[in-house]
Amino acid sequence: MTFWLLLTVNSITFGSLLFLLAAGFSLIFGLMRIPNLTHGSLFMLGAYFGATFVGGMLGMMFNFWVAAVMAALLVAAFGAVIERLLLRRLPGQQMAQVLVTLGISFIVADFCLMVWGGDPVAVATPDTLVGSVRLGPMIFPIYRIAVIGIAVVVAIALWLLLDRTRLGAMIRAGVDDPDMARVVGIRVSRLFTIVFALGAGIAAFAGVIGGPILTVYPGLDQYMLPLALVVVILGGSGSLLGSVVGSLIIGVLYNFGQALLPELAYFVLFLPMVLVLLLRPQGLFGRFIP
Amino acid sequence: MATNALELSHIDAYYGDSHVLHDVSFSCGEARLLGLLGRNGAGKSTCMNVTIGLLAPRRGQVSIFGTPVAGLSPEQISAQGVALVPQGRRIFKSLTVRENLVVAAQKPRDGKHAPWTTETVFAMFPRLEERRNQIAAHLSGGEQQMLAIGRALMGNPRVLLMDEPSEGLAPQIVHEVMNTIRKLKESGLSIVLVEQNPTLVFDVADDIVILNTGRVAVVSTPAALQEGNVDLTQHLGVF
Ligand SMILES: Nc1ncnc2c1ncn2[C@@H]1O[C@H](COP(=O)(O)OP(=O)(O)O)[C@@H](O)[C@H]1O
Ligand SMILES: [Mg+2]
Repeated sequence: MTFWLLLTVNSITFGSLLFLLAAGFSLIFGLMRIPNLTHGSLFMLGAYFGATFVGGMLGMMFNFWVAAVMAALLVAAFGAVIERLLLRRLPGQQMAQVLVTLGISFIVADFCLMVWGGDPVAVATPDTLVGSVRLGPMIFPIYRIAVIGIAVVVAIALWLLLDRTRLGAMIRAGVDDPDMARVVGIRVSRLFTIVFALGAGIAAFAGVIGGPILTVYPGLDQYMLPLALVVVILGGSGSLLGSVVGSLIIGVLYNFGQALLPELAYFVLFLPMVLVLLLRPQGLFGRFIP
Repeated sequence: MATNALELSHIDAYYGDSHVLHDVSFSCGEARLLGLLGRNGAGKSTCMNVTIGLLAPRRGQVSIFGTPVAGLSPEQISAQGVALVPQGRRIFKSLTVRENLVVAAQKPRDGKHAPWTTETVFAMFPRLEERRNQIAAHLSGGEQQMLAIGRALMGNPRVLLMDEPSEGLAPQIVHEVMNTIRKLKESGLSIVLVEQNPTLVFDVADDIVILNTGRVAVVSTPAALQEGNVDLTQHLGVF
């Protein structure tokens, strides 16, 4: 009983991390049509930054949450630079965008190896969230529950931003008809930079939040990116709801698959993606057919 | 001489290698309505694209109340007080009616006219208010046209460009749209109305410009044209 429950909590926690990663990926792909293969790298970079700030490697120790926000801001700025200087010059050229973002991901991976070395770096769990809570006969690790709560908060905040604000409506108008959006005075190019930076920042934030669970190591980027891809293909790009549902499904399949059918874990993981691609190519909640 | 609200002078415009506008010059006076006529493919929409900044002219100048704007971006030209009701309406389909309006809101740049807001647009088009929270894609053609007009007004423009607003609408709706245009003109807005059908335009226009294969063929007034001094069928086909 406890085994199943813990597996379920772990699945939802992992799904929450995936959501934080995939939400930005989905936003960037769904709204700007850019397949951003640096997304795993942004996650890893955020995690390394977080570890550095929290671990006092700069001669100063930061509070975990301050570190997470700082990492998110730094990586968001990095994302804005990538968008402004490189992707901006390749509008609509998806193959070029794939190659450029893939190239940047290699550069980031090498940079991380150079700075943080090849050994895994641990991120300490924030003091207030160490340990477990006991609910009747069950014991829950507090931090994992907190991660779920954070993902819920981010999901609601993103939904409010995109669906309930003028800025969100302007972003959607820019996606519907970029030329017409400019004609009514919307600065579409600035909005797209904001979207890219936002997606990058959330990925980095997810990296820090995931740090205490996953630890940070070379290759974390290439471990996370395919999972984000599967989530977005499953849920449908550009759909926040799709990211939520896709992340939960993949979180469950991944954890249960590894626990119950370790030899078939990847088969279990990618099978639903293949089915969705065959039967509903735009994903469960997607607006577009990629 | 007073400055014109809009002036195109000696415009040459290309799509790639294809030369579409040849030395096009015309102007629209303040608070006047210019009817821009011409057959399909004559270059009317291209004039609109050049004016709003979607297509940079290779030669020539566009001025808004004396301010040169050729080569500026659509955002910048929009900030100069130019709004477009585009051919085919091009409303933001996945946004609600109200969102279509609020994303286009801009402050007026002179204190002269009462500013347009969602409230005043809804007062002008009550049917849009009834559907304010509906997704715009679900509106009828006439409602979409009203939304496109309302969206343009939200920019509180000084110059309103309307590209074939009657296209594809039922006669009753066309009538409503023309009434709206008349009201806007009375409010002091300077308007360029593009149409293929001259009878609609003669009714409301102060001045007429006819384009033929990318060149200005006729500059006149409705009265003069209705006297039959110009062979309209040569430029417009038969009506
Ligand atoms: N995007 C475009 N690319 C290439 N040619 C175009 C484009 N848009 C219009 N044209 C051509 O330019 C000419 C003028 O078109 P347009 O300005 O749309 O005419 P009108 O609005 O008077 O019907 C036509 O010959 C048309 O085929
Ligand atoms: Mg046209």
